[in-house]
Order: sequence, then structure tokens, then C-alpha cells
Amino acid sequence: MLLETIRLALRSVRRNALRSILTLLGIVIGVAAVIAMLTIGAGTTAKVKADIAKLGSNLLIVRPGAPAGPGQQQINSRSFTDKDLAALAREIPDAKAISAGAQKSVKVVYGTESLTAQITGTDTGYFRARDLGVTLGREFSDSEVRGGAGVCLIGETVRKQFFGSGDPLSTSIRIGRMNCSVIGLLETKGFSQFGQDQDNVVLMPLAGFQRRVAGNNDIETIYVAAKEGESTADMQVLVEDILRDTRRIAPGREDDFSVRDLTQIASAMASTTAAMTGMLGAVAAISLLVGGIGIMNIMLVSVTERTRKIGIRLAIGAQEHDILTQFLVEATVLSLIGGLLGIALGLGLALLASNTMSIPFDPSPLVIAFAVAFSALIGTVFGFFPALRGARLDPIDALRHE
Amino acid sequence: MSAPLIRFDNVWKTYGHGEAEVNALAGVNLTISQGEFVAIMGPSGSGKSTAMNIIGCLDTPSSGRYDFLGADAGALDRGRRALLRNLYIGFVFQGYNLLPRTTALENVELPLVYRGIPARQRHDMGMAALDKVGLIGRETHTPAELSGGQQQRVAIARAIVTNPTLLVADEPTGNLDTARTHEIMELLTDLNIEQGLTIALVTHEVEVAAFAARNIFFRDGNIESDVMLGARHAA
Repeated sequence: MLLETIRLALRSVRRNALRSILTLLGIVIGVAAVIAMLTIGAGTTAKVKADIAKLGSNLLIVRPGAPAGPGQQQINSRSFTDKDLAALAREIPDAKAISAGAQKSVKVVYGTESLTAQITGTDTGYFRARDLGVTLGREFSDSEVRGGAGVCLIGETVRKQFFGSGDPLSTSIRIGRMNCSVIGLLETKGFSQFGQDQDNVVLMPLAGFQRRVAGNNDIETIYVAAKEGESTADMQVLVEDILRDTRRIAPGREDDFSVRDLTQIASAMASTTAAMTGMLGAVAAISLLVGGIGIMNIMLVSVTERTRKIGIRLAIGAQEHDILTQFLVEATVLSLIGGLLGIALGLGLALLASNTMSIPFDPSPLVIAFAVAFSALIGTVFGFFPALRGARLDPIDALRHE
Repeated sequence: MSAPLIRFDNVWKTYGHGEAEVNALAGVNLTISQGEFVAIMGPSGSGKSTAMNIIGCLDTPSSGRYDFLGADAGALDRGRRALLRNLYIGFVFQGYNLLPRTTALENVELPLVYRGIPARQRHDMGMAALDKVGLIGRETHTPAELSGGQQQRVAIARAIVTNPTLLVADEPTGNLDTARTHEIMELLTDLNIEQGLTIALVTHEVEVAAFAARNIFFRDGNIESDVMLGARHAA
């Protein structure tokens, strides 16, 4: 009986093809918007989370200069010294890693090829602090770091430029005025949240970098990584205390360095993204409501148009619930078709967006199931009043209807 | 003589209120037995259509009692009257009232759908009904592809497919020419004689009424005359 009614409903939808399509459009657009928003939003959140992981987990980045507020330029002040570093290492023995680094954008040359890469002078702790893997070759040894040896590890972008997919190990590249032997290839990290190529990098021992590339003894950055499960907030307080002490900052005066908890910043970004997704999804859901009103409108027209036919059915013995079911099923079938088309369109849009914005495309089956159920529900809810109106018709009046 | 199929006991039907009050039926008493073929006549506004609506259980009396098959049909609710119509009454209308863009067979099967009869059995019963009205071979035609006479035959097939006790026909030949009218009336007469189907028919044409064994004239909401025509066929 229900199958029969569904068949009947499909026939009615097909007969009024143009009208049905126009009615459907509201639901299609609504569902597509919701699906696209939620899928793109989930992809963005996933990408932000992946970016957090790439930054290294539980990482504090310490830089010279007072903390800058929003829109304020960070004021540079004296750089860190070996003494600061030694104090940190002594006072925080249970840190996962403490590392010093300095950076400069420098032209790198191999044979006739050259490119400008981000050169980082650092030590062995850097790999642990940044969760940096080496896919080929090896990390620095402690003696290479101490002696400032002419060795380096290169990122994937540098390897591609100079060696294609070939083996870069044991070749010599020139960084500024220094020749370096390539001892390792770094794990690919991709682009950062801010569009920076994190693979266009070269790592070398800090002492060599200071002498031959930067031409000074500055330590520009200190990385302090907490062990898994330990609070970076507690660690941040500890780091600030130690550095105020070693840098002899009088009580009451502002820090002349800043400690940034990248994980915190990134998780704030992730939750902002998620909130935005929710909001856009809610706005999209309003268009679903509008679509539902469209269904109601067209079902009212449909009931009025078919008054005489309803009269015939009632006269030959159809019960109220037969007529009610007929129109309810028709409205539900109509909006369900709209929902399915909307899901296809929404996923298509999300796929397109994920390709152009290079975010993962990971549609949630839960969201899709919800969209199917919700579009069917809209048909049932908004079809109910028109269907009831049809079912309550007086057969005599309905038969007289022209 | 079997028990009365239809019994009106002082039936009133009133429309409107106060000054605008109109008595469509004013204390009608009427009995129709099973197997009768009754033509109901009268000028417009005489109450014949109202009487037919009550006979067909589409409407209920304002006061008085209407018994159908011994049951107080006037006291039944909408749903029960719909069930009663589906089980015992077939309808034929002046304008045929077939569902457009729906085949003859599907139209005939419609009352069976509301009885919840399975498709295969519906098909067989529908074909049998179409056979009785002489439309085998037209079962896949839609109303638009059939002549007026053929459409009315489909409507008759739809009315008798449920093997009803009563057939209610409201000006069934109103849209047909003389030859078609005779064909339809012959068909109804056959159903009355051969199947013992009780028929109540509204018409304003004397030639049509002449096919019936009993003619009832309505005027001003009541029965003016109730005539048994010669024993054209035994009731």
C-alpha cells in the first residue's frame, strides 16, 4: 500500500516536472549549502589540526623583544646568549628538548642552480623540539654542533630544485660564503597556515651559521618543548622566571623577550574555524526552512488543484488517512529528491573547494544521513497542513469543484 | 420481498441559519428495497440531489433517521460512512469523474486500492468489471482517449467492481446523446436484472426514468409522487 502511494507520488512529481524542479530548488540549495559548509568546515579544521601537529607538540617559542599586542610591531632587543640557554637547560631538566636557533634568508647555490631558502642555524635538540623527522641520511652529531662543522640538512623544496628526485647526500652546496656537505633530507612539512613553504629550508649547526652566514653571535630563538602530557602553561611561567633572572630584569619592569605557545594559538584558530563552520551551517539551515515553505506552498496549490480528484477518492471510499498519506508521501518524496540532489551538489562544491584550497575532503556520513533525514522531515512537516486540508474536504463540495 | 435497503424516517435537511434557513428536505419518508431500480426526478431545488447524497452516505440528515441496510447511517462518522461507501455503494456521476491521465483499468481498480486488495487480485477484478461493461481491449486507454459513452462505462465498471449492494447514479446520461443514453441505460437495466443490483438514479429526462421500475418525483423538499411503472420487470 505504501509502495503504491510512493509510486503514485513519483508519478505526480514527474507529471508536474517543471513545477517540481522549481519547488525542489529551495531544498536542493538549502541542503547543498549545509553539506558544503559543514564538509569544507570539517576539512579546514582538520587542516588546522594537522598544522598544529607540524608545529611540534607542546612547543614554546621564545624570542627577544617585548610581547607585541595585536597590530603592534615587536620591538627588537638584545638577543639570547649561551648563558640563557645553559640556565634553561639546568633549571628545566625534565623538558623534552631545549634548542637554540637563528634564521636568515640566504641564497643557496649548487652548480649553476640557486634559490633563496630559509637557513636555520641550530643544534640537535631542534629535531626533538620541532618533531622534525629525517627521511634520508642523519641528524647532526654533537661534535658537529660544537665545532660548527660545514654540514647541513635540506628540505624537500631545496632537494627538488637542485637534485630533482635524485640523492642529495654527500654533495656540497654553498650557503652564503660557506660550503656545506649535505648529510640529510628533512621530512616534508608542506605549507604553513600562513602560506609559507616549510620545505624551502636548510638546517646547519648554529656555530657555523653564526660565523659564516649571519656574521654575529646572536641566538634569535629558543625552543622549549614540554614532555607529552605536561602543561605548556606551567612551563611558560618557569621559562619567563628563569630568563628574567639571567637577563637581570628588575621586578616591575616588562619582559624584554616574549614566549609564544604556538599550540595554544593554533588550537584557538581551530576552534574559531569550527565556530565559523557552525555559524555558516546555521545560516545555510535557514535556507532549508525557506525551501520547506516552498514545499508547503506548492502542496497547497496541488491540493486545491486536485480538489475534484480528492472528492472522487473520498466518494468511492477513501478514508481521511488515505488522502493524508497520499499528500504527505508526495511532499516527503519531493523534498527527499531535493535532499539527495542537494547532497550531490553540496559534496561536489566541497570537493571543488577542497581541491582549490588544498584542504582534506572528508565528508561525514553522519552529516549526510542527517541531511537525508532532515529533508524528508521538512517535506513531512511542511506537507502536513496542506495534506490535512485535502483530507478534511467534504466529498460533496469537492465533487462540485470545477 | 427482502428487508428494506434504504429507509428515510421523517428526514429533514436544513441549510443556513435564521432568515436564510432553507429546508432542502422537509420530513421525507421513503423506503427502497433490495433489487429495486428507482429513478428520482424533480426540478432543481426540489431536494432530489440532497436525498441522493444522503442515500449515498455522502451526507447526513439534519434530523430524522436514515437507515442503510438496517443500520443508522445518519449517525455514523465520516470514516465509517467512507467505509460504508467503499463496501456497499458504487457511484456514477454525470461528469464521469474519472482520474485523468490514469488508465481505464487503474480507474476501475481505485476503490479496491482503498480496500487494501493486493495488486494481482485487483487486476483480475478490474478486468472482470471492464468485461461486464464491454470495454475489454480498452483497459490501457486513458479517459482522454475514450468517447463519452466509453468513459461512463469505465465509471460504471469502477462503481460495480466492488460488487456493491447499491448503485447511485447522478444524471449518468446527462452528457450523452440519445444512442449512447440508450446503451448506458440498457447496461444499467441488465445489471439490475441479472446481478440484482439496486439502483437509485437521478434524472430529469422522462425517457431515462422510463427504464426504471419506480419513479419518485420530488418537489419543495418532499416526495410529490411515487409511481410503480407497469411490471416492466419484476422487482
